[in-house]
Amino acid sequence: MKNVKKVVGAGVISSMLMLAACSGQSTKTTGNASGGKSSGPKTMFLGMVNPPINFSPVNSPDVASTFVDHFIFEPFLEMPAAQKFDPKLADSFESSDNQTFTIKLNKNAKWSDGQPVTADDVLFTMNLVANPKVETTIGSYISMLDGLDVKGKLPDGVTSIPSVKVVDQNTIQFKTKSPVDPNMIKEQLGTKFMTLPKHVLEKIKPEDLAKDPFFLKPTVTDGPFKFVVYNKDQDVQLAANPDYYLGKPKVDNMYIKIMQAPNLAAQLQTGELHMNVGIGIGKIPPEDFDRVKQLKNVRTKVEPTIGFQTMMFNTTKIKDAKVRQALAFALNRSKIVDKLLKGYGEVVDGPYTSINPYLDKSTNIIKYDSEKAKQMLKDAGWDFNKTLNLVVPIGNKVREQSADLITQDLQAAGVKVKVSTFDFPTIMQKGKAGDFDLLLMGFTFTFDPDMSNLYGKVGSYNFMRYNNPQSDELLAKGKEEADPTKRKEIYSQLQKIWEQDMPIITLYSDSDFDAISNKVTNGEPKISGFHDGIQNWDVDGAQ
Amino acid sequence: MFQYIVRRILIALPVLFGVTIFSFLIVNMAPGNPVEMQINPDATAADIALKKEALGLNDPLYVQYVRWLSGILHGNFGFSFSTHQAVTGMISDRIGPTLLLMGTAIIIAYLIAIPIGILSATRQYSWMDYLSTSFSFLGISIPHFFLGLGAIYVFSIVFQIFPTGGMNTLGGTGGFADTFNHLILPALVLGTGIAGSMVRYVRSSVLEILGQDYLRTARSKGLKEFFVINKHALRNALIPIITVIGMDIPLLIGGAVVTEQIFQWPGLGQLTIQSIGSRDYPTLMAMNLMAAVAVLLSNLITDVLYSVADPRIKYN
Repeated sequence: MKNVKKVVGAGVISSMLMLAACSGQSTKTTGNASGGKSSGPKTMFLGMVNPPINFSPVNSPDVASTFVDHFIFEPFLEMPAAQKFDPKLADSFESSDNQTFTIKLNKNAKWSDGQPVTADDVLFTMNLVANPKVETTIGSYISMLDGLDVKGKLPDGVTSIPSVKVVDQNTIQFKTKSPVDPNMIKEQLGTKFMTLPKHVLEKIKPEDLAKDPFFLKPTVTDGPFKFVVYNKDQDVQLAANPDYYLGKPKVDNMYIKIMQAPNLAAQLQTGELHMNVGIGIGKIPPEDFDRVKQLKNVRTKVEPTIGFQTMMFNTTKIKDAKVRQALAFALNRSKIVDKLLKGYGEVVDGPYTSINPYLDKSTNIIKYDSEKAKQMLKDAGWDFNKTLNLVVPIGNKVREQSADLITQDLQAAGVKVKVSTFDFPTIMQKGKAGDFDLLLMGFTFTFDPDMSNLYGKVGSYNFMRYNNPQSDELLAKGKEEADPTKRKEIYSQLQKIWEQDMPIITLYSDSDFDAISNKVTNGEPKISGFHDGIQNWDVDGAQ
Repeated sequence: MFQYIVRRILIALPVLFGVTIFSFLIVNMAPGNPVEMQINPDATAADIALKKEALGLNDPLYVQYVRWLSGILHGNFGFSFSTHQAVTGMISDRIGPTLLLMGTAIIIAYLIAIPIGILSATRQYSWMDYLSTSFSFLGISIPHFFLGLGAIYVFSIVFQIFPTGGMNTLGGTGGFADTFNHLILPALVLGTGIAGSMVRYVRSSVLEILGQDYLRTARSKGLKEFFVINKHALRNALIPIITVIGMDIPLLIGGAVVTEQIFQWPGLGQLTIQSIGSRDYPTLMAMNLMAAVAVLLSNLITDVLYSVADPRIKYN
C-alpha cells in the first residue's frame, strides 16, 4: 500500500488538482486530534479496524465488542501481564483451598444512575449467564462453578446457581466443581466477566435479553467511561464517568474511530488519531511499519502477543505423523516472519508463544530443512504425484501472502499443492466438514494453557480430527490440576506429544505494532490489561 | 405517458418477484451459515441446532421464502441475524450517506464530462481532444482504491486540505460545511472514474451529430456556433448519454463499496460486505431487493427521460 500511495502521487496529482479547483477550494481543516482549544474538553482518539457488534458483556461475540465493553463495564480484576492481577471491581479475590473463592467488591463502586454496585448485581449476572434461556458467549468463564454443565449452563427450569452465595452487600462467594488453578479462574472469571445492573435488567425476560436495546446503547454502566453513541462502523463515542470509583478519568471524551487498516497510518500521521488499539483489532499493516517508524509525531511500540497462525493437517487424509512432520520441516517459517512481518514476529511450533509461561522451549524442534523433508517423505513412502489442497481464508493479508510462501516451500520439497481461497463462513464449513488437506487458521486464546478447544477430540476447533487418547487424558488432567508447577509439567508433556503427532503446526506469531502520538502523556496500547488504569490516560491538550 | 408508466411498473413486478426467488436461493446456497458465524466456539451441535430452529433455518427453503415474502408484503424486512436490529433501520441509517455520495459523484461526473466531451468533439484531433481522451482513459483505467489512496496521500497527508475519512469531524459541531468537507475527496474519486467513461460517450455522440445535415442548416441560417452546438447538437446527443446515466445509477451502489471502505463513508457498501461476511440473510435479501428496485426504476426513468429529451420518442 505504501508504494501504491507514492507512485500514484505524481500521476494523479495534476488531474486531481484540476478537479479540486472545479469544486471550489475548500477552507482549511484536517483532523486536529487535540480537539481544539487548550481550555476545551480533552479528547482521546483511538483507531480500530473491526467494528463492534453489540455492547453486551454477556453476549459480545467478538474481540472488538468486548474491547469496548471494558470501557463501560467493570471486570473484577485486570491482568497487566501474564498471570499478574490488579484489583478493579474486586478489592480482593481469594481462596484458601482453591475451590471456594471469595470476592470482596469495592465499596465505592457505583452505577452511573447513583445506585451502588453490589453482590446482588454479581449474583444476578452470573445467574443470567447460567440461565439456559439466555443467549450468551461467556458460558465458559463460569463453567467451572459447581452445578453448571461444561457450557456454563444450569439444567432446564433452574434459575439460580446453587454454588454462588451473597455473603453481604459487598461480598460474594462461589465454589468450583473441584480445586482449580487460581490463575485460571482469575483470568477467566476475574478479568473477563463483567457485572450488569440488576435493577435495570431484572424485568427483562431471559429469552429476550439478547435483543434488548440496552445492549446496543447501555444507559446504566459502572466503568470509567459512559456510553454516548455508536455510529455504526464509524465511531464509538464515550464520555468520562465523573463518579468513577477509582477516580474521574483525565480525558473528557474517548472516541474510538473505526477504519480500514491502511488508514491507521495515514490518520496517525495527520494527527487525527492518538494511537491504534492493536490487540488484533487495530493492527497497522506490516507494509506501513517503516513509514510509521519514521513519523516525527509518534513513538512506536512492538509487543509480542499470544495470538498464533497455524497450518492444520487433516489427520484423516494425511494419516502418517511422519509425513506431517516432514511437511513441517519443509516450511521456511522464518522467511514469513522476515519478509511478511518485517521481522516483527516469532516462530514457535505449538500453541504457546514466548510470552506464555507454559511454553516449553525444549520441545521446539522443527527447523527448516528442505532436503531433510524430502528424505523423510521418501522414507515414509509419500506419493509425490498426489496434490494437497491448501485452504486459505481471506481477511488477513499476511496470512494470504504466507500461503504463497508455503506453497513454494512445499513444492521445493517435491510436494504438489493446490491453493483454494474462501471467505470465513465458507472456511468454517469446510473446516467442520474436513474438506481440506491443509488449512490455514489463526487463534488467540488465553494465557491459561488449556487447549481442549483445539487439540481435544471433541474440541470445536479440532478441524484436524486429531484423536490421541493420551493427549485427551492429559488435557483433562491439566484442567483439573490446581498446582501451577504440576500443571506446567502436564503441558510440557502435551507439547512433546503434539510435536510428535504434528496435527497442526504454528507458522508464526505476529507481534503487535503500535504507534502512539507524542501528545499522549500517559497511556499506550497493551495486549493484556489494556483498560488497566485507563482513568489516568491523558493527552496534552495545549497543542 | 401515465399509462405507459403504470404498464411498466406492472411488468416490473413479476421481474422483481423472480429476482427475489433467485437471490433467496443463491444467498441460502452459499456455504456457511449465520449460526456458525455468531455462536460461541464452545457450542455443541445441539446448541447450533437449537439456534437454527429459533431463527427458522431448519424449515424447508420454500417455507422460509414464503415467510420472508409475506413479511416484505407487510412491510416487515425482518431482523438482522447478527445485530438483532431491524433491517429497515439498518438500511435507512445508511441510505442517506450513500445517496449523498452517489448523487454528488454523478453531478461531478457530468459537470466534468459534458463540457470536456463537447470540447473534444468540436475540436477533434486538437491537443485539447488528445488531452481529454487521455483523461478519460486515466479515469477508466485507474481503480477507485488506487485513486482513493492517492487522493488521501496528496490532499490529506501532504497538503492537509481534507480529512482522511469519515463523514463528520468526531467531536465537532458537525453541520453542512463539515460534511461537505468530508464529502469532497470520496465524491471526486468516484466522480472522476465515472467521468472517464462518460467523456467518451459524450464525445462520440456529439461527433456523430456534428455531421448531420440539420446542423449545416442551422449554421447557414447564420446561427452562432455556441447555439448550434449547445441547442441543436447537444439535445440530440443527449439520448445515448441518458442511457449511460441509467446504467450508471445501479452500478454506483455497488461501485461505491470500495470508495466507502477507503474513506470510511458510512454507506450501504460497508453494510453489504459485513452482511456477506456474517451470512446475515435478512439484511442481504433486503439489499438485493433494493438493488433490483434501483435497476428497474432507473431503467424506467431512463425511458421516460428519452421522451423528454427527444419529443420524437413517444410512448403509448
